[in-house]
Amino acid sequence: MPKITINGKNMEVPAGTSIIQACQQADIPIAHYCWHEGLSVAGACRMCMVEVEKNPKLQIACNTQAVDGMIIHTDSEKVKDTVKWALDFHLINHPLDCPICDQAGECKLQDYYMSYGLYTPEMNQPKMKKNKVVSLGERVLLDQERCILCSRCVRFTSEVSKTNELGIFNRGDRSVIGTFENRPMNNNYSVNTVDICPVGALTSKDFRFKQRVWFLKDFETICNGCSTGCNVTVSYNQNGVFRVRPRKNEAVNGHWMCDEGRDVYKHTNLEFRLEQVVERNDELGGASVKGKPVPLAIQEISKKLKTLTSKNADAVAVVLTAQYTVEEYEALLQALTALKVKNFYHWKNNEETFDSFDGLLLRGDKNPNTQGLLKVMEKYKVKGNLKDFEKGSAFSMTIVAGPENQTVYPDLEKKIDVLKKGGEVVYLTSCKNDKFNTFKWQIPMKSFVEKSGTFINHKGMEQKIKGGLKISKEAITLTEFAAALSEAGGARA
Amino acid sequence: MEQKLLMKHYENDEYASYKGYVKHDGYAALKKAFTMKPDDIIAEVKNSGLRGRGGAGFSTGMKWSFLPKNNEPRFLLCNADEGEPGTFKDRMMMERAPHQLIEGMIISAFAIQSKKSYIYIRGEYNESYKIVEKALKEAYDAGMLGKNIMNSGFDHDMDVYRGAGAYIVGEETALISSLEGLKGQPKLKPPFPAVQGYLRKPTIVNNVETLAAVTWIITNGAGAYKKYGTEKSAGTKLFSVSGNINKPGVYEVPLGYPFKDLLENECGGMKQGFNFKALIPGGSSCPVLNKEEALKSTMDYECMSQLGSMLGSGGVIVIDDKQCMVDLLKVLMHFYHHESCGQCTPCREGTGWLEKLTNGIGAGTAKLEDVGLLDKVARHMMGTTICALSDAAALPVISFVSKFRDEFECHVREHRCKVKGKCHAQDHH
Amino acid sequence: MSVVKRPSAKSKWYIPGILTGLGITIKHMLFNLAHRKDIYTIEYPEERYPYSERFKGNHILTVKKDGSLRCTACMLCATYCPAECISIVAAEHDDPSVEKYPISYEIDILRCVFCGFCEEACPVDAIRMGPEHQTAAIVGDNFVYDINRLAYRPGLKGGVLSKVDDEERHKKGL
Repeated sequence: MPKITINGKNMEVPAGTSIIQACQQADIPIAHYCWHEGLSVAGACRMCMVEVEKNPKLQIACNTQAVDGMIIHTDSEKVKDTVKWALDFHLINHPLDCPICDQAGECKLQDYYMSYGLYTPEMNQPKMKKNKVVSLGERVLLDQERCILCSRCVRFTSEVSKTNELGIFNRGDRSVIGTFENRPMNNNYSVNTVDICPVGALTSKDFRFKQRVWFLKDFETICNGCSTGCNVTVSYNQNGVFRVRPRKNEAVNGHWMCDEGRDVYKHTNLEFRLEQVVERNDELGGASVKGKPVPLAIQEISKKLKTLTSKNADAVAVVLTAQYTVEEYEALLQALTALKVKNFYHWKNNEETFDSFDGLLLRGDKNPNTQGLLKVMEKYKVKGNLKDFEKGSAFSMTIVAGPENQTVYPDLEKKIDVLKKGGEVVYLTSCKNDKFNTFKWQIPMKSFVEKSGTFINHKGMEQKIKGGLKISKEAITLTEFAAALSEAGGARA
Repeated sequence: MEQKLLMKHYENDEYASYKGYVKHDGYAALKKAFTMKPDDIIAEVKNSGLRGRGGAGFSTGMKWSFLPKNNEPRFLLCNADEGEPGTFKDRMMMERAPHQLIEGMIISAFAIQSKKSYIYIRGEYNESYKIVEKALKEAYDAGMLGKNIMNSGFDHDMDVYRGAGAYIVGEETALISSLEGLKGQPKLKPPFPAVQGYLRKPTIVNNVETLAAVTWIITNGAGAYKKYGTEKSAGTKLFSVSGNINKPGVYEVPLGYPFKDLLENECGGMKQGFNFKALIPGGSSCPVLNKEEALKSTMDYECMSQLGSMLGSGGVIVIDDKQCMVDLLKVLMHFYHHESCGQCTPCREGTGWLEKLTNGIGAGTAKLEDVGLLDKVARHMMGTTICALSDAAALPVISFVSKFRDEFECHVREHRCKVKGKCHAQDHH
Repeated sequence: MSVVKRPSAKSKWYIPGILTGLGITIKHMLFNLAHRKDIYTIEYPEERYPYSERFKGNHILTVKKDGSLRCTACMLCATYCPAECISIVAAEHDDPSVEKYPISYEIDILRCVFCGFCEEACPVDAIRMGPEHQTAAIVGDNFVYDINRLAYRPGLKGGVLSKVDDEERHKKGL
């Protein structure tokens, strides 16, 4: 374990660590553009220069191994001047796009200018003109002038997604990032290049111009798109959720997330949500009545439930999708098994591709908490999946905890027909869908960004999600539903 | 006096063919080398004081001794890219004596125990490529290449590889990248090519002249080579002299030869009507020497570096007093801007900036501060990049501006060229 | 000693007081009649008080030479506004040299404190505080000004040209 000194601070690092990694561990800031923990070393930006004693020239920190006895300075005058000029060279051909660039507020050029720059620019020659709004694929837009040619995106498509769609064309200051003819970048991890791009050259078509980043707040949670459970950061403000970005977790997703997961925030926004209780009123010919307060609705449901279970608990069925937290399942199962309900069914999204894995992050099981649901069901000694429900006899009442994310349940409409044999169906869902109007009750539920709890991913790892905001005002969680069920209508059974 | 050690038989047209080469003791050195042990050959070359003739001037024997002592396959690469402006000696060597190079390469390969070597010729040298290819075929037919050369038990294969028009592949790691089929961009060092080079195996990259000199050294011994030249710069060097002189061309003189003699004797002095003004001693990447410095200089590594310049590749560019220094710098800056590979930022952006500034000064549209800015930008481009192209672009700028500042300022202040006397509105590039 | 001032004889009588007061008033009236030009009173609304060029009145969104809005929806004004009265929705422009423009730019004029921070923050002279300040309205009127009102109201005669013209800069290549 080599012992080194950085800025007078002694530290011991594992063998093979580069200086920039050592500084990252010690929380010492070093300016860099092209180095990324999850990618190979390029040494192209020349910003991470540090002074190593006994070396007349400054060395780049990303490619220099820490050797025992090394003394390193990152804040001497020589280093500051070199970094300032390296930044200057980056900016001389950079277009004046800050007002229209999405990266403003989280742009490394802006940040380093404030810490190392603050100079009067002397470049008064015409700048290099390249192509502006270039579409690289379905999700990513390129601005060739803003690109600082750090090659992070090229290395990403070569080493991580292994699809090699991006390359650097031409040489010198005519160099541009681009795709090859008839081969756009449409792999399932393309938006990661937008995250790693330190400037506004690569932007996400989905987030483009929607909001300035300083109007957004972040909180950390887990993606609910599939059973991998990538760690993500959700950005939101009072108008809703705007984007989802990956967080580093070596054990689960490394530094990346898939593009499908980027879309999961969409269903949490108000326009897609079920905001109020919807009841099918048979006296009015099956018309939908909206607006009954949630506690009142649950009271009625509870009364009916208790009436049924006191006579024959087998007439009640519960269908669960694995998109809710472990705590919610615990509460619901406890409440219902206490009423002697035994018929629980696990509703999977897709039998054929359920166990598939694309080699990197995305799994065929598009529910974040399958392991959690199975664990809780095992605890309460209940078993069953939707096929059994289909095969079995009809029920008088069915409580369905429907999928939050409807897009990953492609045969949802077919399953609605199946569920109809459940008699009076109480459908718990966060997102609306007109086809649900055939069910007796629709209760609005909270989405994954509004509640806290635990998801268990495919490996059995428990990860906590943390709610950060409130979108649908009347929505509740399964826990609240279960609690209200038990309380309402009098004594517990 | 010219000392034709390598160039002895270049006037003879037959020398390029195998038959003609063998007539003049061709491949005798190889025979002798096979009687020596590889380590002894390395020691001999080290002893001779031979330094890399491509520009860096690093001791060849020492470079060879950096190879790791393991059983990994090694590669020998001959750098025939010759991109340095002002240099054309390698072209002459390949066209007049390809077998001298091939023999030198086989000896060197035997010394470093390499079974495969490549000659990387720049794409523009069409003639050289054809001649070398022909010579390789002749060598294979004569059994000088392939399996069990001269019954020594040593196998060796050699191939020619053509470049595609980039100066940057003259840099050794860029050459290796290009040979591997990648974009010809330099790689980060460390790891050095001697440890991890072509296909991540130990690789030695040497210049054409260096490898050809090995032939002579093995034939005549290290002691004989050391007799020529100076103590630290042993042997002879081929200088490509160009400019408005009476006899431009390639001349082989011992290192330490005074430049004054080279100009007056070998090159026949300046042409009628032209006076000597400045000298670029080793290709355009070397700082310029003004008249006084040049006339008292000797052509060796030490003297040149003492005067603040470099011997480099030996591309001697003689500048006369009818040449505007700003014009010359414009041409050089355009060259470096065009040839920068674009990998690292200071060079990619800096070369463009230097060209634009120089063009502005030349056209008379610049401000006086731009002359100082030119110098400042060049100084900050040095020492911070992956390879030395950035330094190669910056050094001429710094030396031109410091030694000929009056010409630059005349362009800016008076909007006219000091040398040509004309105003910029008239034709002046 | 008593500090209470007892009313003097003079003030007990009304007539001397009235005559003194009237006298002052008539003196001023006669003076003013003789020096009409020096009267400070401004005959509003025919005469108006001349405000300075820097007066912070109603906002003006400037336009480019072709009549389109100068604003690039950078949202610096909305960020800087201390009253949080500016709402902007950005959109993609078909012309790549323009790229971003606001499809909706609203100022809630009742929230606005007319501080002028938005004018200061704008990097392209897209918003200015104009000289107009007399825009009374009744309850039920629209107090959220949109682009039409801010940039193209009749008083502006087709739009005020912005001083920061990107065309020159683009041509020069800067």
